[in-house]
Amino acid sequence: MPVVDVDPDELRQLVGTDKDDDELREDLFALGLEFEGWTDEDEFQLEFAPDRLDRLSVEGIARSLRYQYGTDRGVYVPNTNDPEWTIEVDGPPAERPYVTGAVVRGLEFDEESLESLIQIQEKLHATMGRQRAKGAIGVHDLVALKGAAGTGGEKTIRYTSMDPDEERFVPLESEEGMTPREVTDSHHMGSQYADLVDGFEEYPAIYDDIGLFSFPPVINGRRTEVTEDSRDLLIEMTGTDQWTVDHMCNIVCYALSARGGTVERVTVEYTDDTPGEYAGRSLDRPDFSVKTKTVAHDRIESIVGVEFDSGTVLDCLERAGLDGTVDDDEEVTYEVEIPPYRVDVLHPLDVIDDIGRAYGFNDLEPRYPDVSTVGGRHERSRLEDAARDTLVGLGFEDLLNFHMISTEENFDRLGIEPGSDVLGGGQPVTIREPYSEAYEILRTWALPSLLLVLENNTHREYPQHLSEIGLAAELDDSENTGVAERRTVAAVLADTEASYEDARGRLQALAKAFDADLATPPTEHPTFIPGRTAEVVLDGESVGVIGEIHPKVLVEHDLELPVAAFEFRLDALE
Amino acid sequence: MQLPEAQVAVLKTADADTDRPITELAEEADLKVETATGAALALAEEGLLSVTEREEATTTLTEEGREYVEQGLPELRLYEAALEAGADDEPVSLGQLLGEAGLDGPAVDIALANFARKGYGTVDSGEVSATADADPDADDERRALDALDAGETVEDTELLDQLESRGLIERQESTTRLVSVSDDGVTALMEGVEVAETVGQVSPELITSGEWRDVEFAEYNVEAEAEEPAHGREHILRQTANRVKDVLVGMGFKEMDGPHVDAQFWINDCLFMPQDHPARTHWDQFDLESPEEIQDLPDELVERVRSAHLEGVGEDSEGYHSPWEESVARSLDLRGHTTSLSMRHLSGFAKGDLEPPERYFSVEKVYRNDTLDPTHLLEFFQIEGWVLAEDLSARDLMGTFTEFYEQFGITDLDFKPHYNPYTEPSFELFGTHPETGEIVEVGNSGIFRAEVLEPLGVEADVMAWGLSLERLLMLMYGFEDIRDVHGTLCDLELLRDVEVVY
Repeated sequence: MPVVDVDPDELRQLVGTDKDDDELREDLFALGLEFEGWTDEDEFQLEFAPDRLDRLSVEGIARSLRYQYGTDRGVYVPNTNDPEWTIEVDGPPAERPYVTGAVVRGLEFDEESLESLIQIQEKLHATMGRQRAKGAIGVHDLVALKGAAGTGGEKTIRYTSMDPDEERFVPLESEEGMTPREVTDSHHMGSQYADLVDGFEEYPAIYDDIGLFSFPPVINGRRTEVTEDSRDLLIEMTGTDQWTVDHMCNIVCYALSARGGTVERVTVEYTDDTPGEYAGRSLDRPDFSVKTKTVAHDRIESIVGVEFDSGTVLDCLERAGLDGTVDDDEEVTYEVEIPPYRVDVLHPLDVIDDIGRAYGFNDLEPRYPDVSTVGGRHERSRLEDAARDTLVGLGFEDLLNFHMISTEENFDRLGIEPGSDVLGGGQPVTIREPYSEAYEILRTWALPSLLLVLENNTHREYPQHLSEIGLAAELDDSENTGVAERRTVAAVLADTEASYEDARGRLQALAKAFDADLATPPTEHPTFIPGRTAEVVLDGESVGVIGEIHPKVLVEHDLELPVAAFEFRLDALE
Repeated sequence: MQLPEAQVAVLKTADADTDRPITELAEEADLKVETATGAALALAEEGLLSVTEREEATTTLTEEGREYVEQGLPELRLYEAALEAGADDEPVSLGQLLGEAGLDGPAVDIALANFARKGYGTVDSGEVSATADADPDADDERRALDALDAGETVEDTELLDQLESRGLIERQESTTRLVSVSDDGVTALMEGVEVAETVGQVSPELITSGEWRDVEFAEYNVEAEAEEPAHGREHILRQTANRVKDVLVGMGFKEMDGPHVDAQFWINDCLFMPQDHPARTHWDQFDLESPEEIQDLPDELVERVRSAHLEGVGEDSEGYHSPWEESVARSLDLRGHTTSLSMRHLSGFAKGDLEPPERYFSVEKVYRNDTLDPTHLLEFFQIEGWVLAEDLSARDLMGTFTEFYEQFGITDLDFKPHYNPYTEPSFELFGTHPETGEIVEVGNSGIFRAEVLEPLGVEADVMAWGLSLERLLMLMYGFEDIRDVHGTLCDLELLRDVEVVY
């Protein structure tokens, strides 16, 4: 879950409160922002669920607290000035066709507010921006930009493509000019994002009249770097989805507006032959229009479980930073206005959740639903339990092992090969990027797990009579998933006098308990001693193997005493 | 008459006319005193012996007392030395006398204290004068010590008190049992008394032959610890799982079953998790190299799910601004949660269309690409449950889960509003630990979103919750490292010794 660092003094100042740290922490917890600890700079580290991305910065959190305290009510939309600047979109890479932007003027930065601006960009990149792949933010000092880069005349910048090896510019944290390819190859920040343009024939580029100043989503140019002296900013965001970059932009603009900045819109002009859905269109951004959802009164009552009057609903909406109007035709509904920084409201249900939170879910009286149903266990799980109980009665210690295992353990150390016609010899399910070699496939049988337990417990008292009923899986084209998953019954008898007969006796007792006819015709299996190995045939079907484990397998597992074992398919006991 | 061997021996050794101590009989019959005592009491119970008790005081010399028997009491040695040196005429210096009497250390004080008390003389300013006509041979204390040493008794209690206070003797009270053969005993002896057999292991033959009527069962030490047999037991986590299943079945829940390897469609897409959601990357879930894709998905459902992702459901819903590809939905993963089973059931794919009300649960394994540590495993059991009914509210959810957690002693449930892509409203559940009183997170819950239910064709409400079984086990039974319990690194000793769950 995302973590955001917040200076409590800054928060108090933005909220306009003098509550102490403990009170603030309690109020933040009620908002769903959990205090995780202090940073080195004495800031709160707050963890929160990734729905309210407008709370990724101190400004957004302050806004939420003001609603909570009742200082603010209803939808707030900052005023915006008419556009002076244009972003001309002319042939950017088809992989990254969309851009948005804004100008914010009249800011006064100090160290903290500048840090906050950097943090909100990082946090938005990590969440909505999907590590910059879906949306990446560039913030520039407007003073360093010179318009008229495009054909449109004055105050235009241009989002387009560039040759990775031809263009040169000085990126952030660099002293010298580099080509974009040099940046992705060797710049300490740029190389972290190289994979985002990997395979692009041409790279995304933004020019002003002077030249290249931004290489999204990798790095900005040094010329337009924002410092504490910057007053007016140009924000651009590029990405793979217009809605996403527009809303990331809204969140940043709301934060800068809370710092006293004045938002000025920009015109985004997609040329006729540019890739993406907006070719030939002109957009006015940021788009601070308020969207609406229609929410039924009945649904609010049925979800929260409380009867409301309309006044209460409207009050809750305003305390959540929303606005509503009642429409009481036949069925009472509310027309609810949602401000442009809210990216989490996808459906009327999300508004109902806001009403419930404002009303106070935790104050609700729990009630047990007056609904009667008949419970019961699944047949497979009952069979598993019955077989497990029988094994325990026969003296086995029941175990529970992982289904993921290493190829070496499943096959090599037991002397078998994948694709061989013996129990355990099926082709395994393989994991694309395993946690480690020890967990690279799903086990094809359970005996390797039991031998591992024996190996890890040679210091414990014998006899060790272990059993497990659990999952084994192998590739099988006849299954829809391509995998045959079955429950397997495995048992080992490790003690100084363990013999085939001991294992046979217990298997016999188990088969008898389930009224299954057992036969054990001789067979061969590389894990077992020849001449002391048999097929497990239950009711005429060959379902497993029984025998004494071969000394080469015992030695491999550091075992110094005989082990007799059996394994077969659980469904044979049905 | 048949009697146990020891009783026969005691009866035959005892006398009809004289009361004799049991110790004496024991020696004569070659029995341990305890055995003879037990036998005698048993015979008395039968009326064959009569037993009387005698209180006796025994007096024994202490080590110091024995030393004075040999070397003489210190005061007497001082007196003898004093007479030698002529102190009955003229006072003699104490130092000289002590040297001659061979007294030093604590014996000096003892000698001086008793010398005057018994009238052997006086000591004044380091000068000793001796009484001329005292008679050390007649010293009571000396004579008493000598008598006791010779095994005689001393009756003078004042004298004994004095010796005891000097630490020269110890006195003990003891009870001696004296027995004699009663009239019945005499009769029995005249009629003949035989030794009955004693039996160790009870044998089938002993029982069937009726022989058991005439035998005596040897007494065992019933308090001693015995060797424990090797034995099987159900794994502690299984016991916990079954306990959870019992509770849920009791609350009207039916158990679900379904595949561990499943299409992302069932695991994520049906749950309205956007395809570019961070939790869908390999960092959270295990994607499969082989096999790669599921063969069949229900086409219509796929279309409805796609549309929910891209456009939402109903008129006032917008869906995600994320790409949606069927190839991603078809790719196979190890399930990261058992909600895939809920989706298979709610869609009617598992068991046909469901009519509300229904309750379903599972306690099954899930797989997460987490970092292994004492509280995290790559595979663990997820408890998953849901209720399908008309008009379910947050209050119904709270009532149901309060009931469930109370079964495990977790009370004062707190419902913290939370966010999940698939439920709205959503709540993280916190409860008070029954032992430690700490507030602990115990699960995640919510009411399924319309974007989840509408494509599945569910028209009623569904509330659901989940938590890890291992977490419940650790909370309830105080395990600190789950790896000791679950998996091939398990410790057999711990599993053998851990208290059962019920």
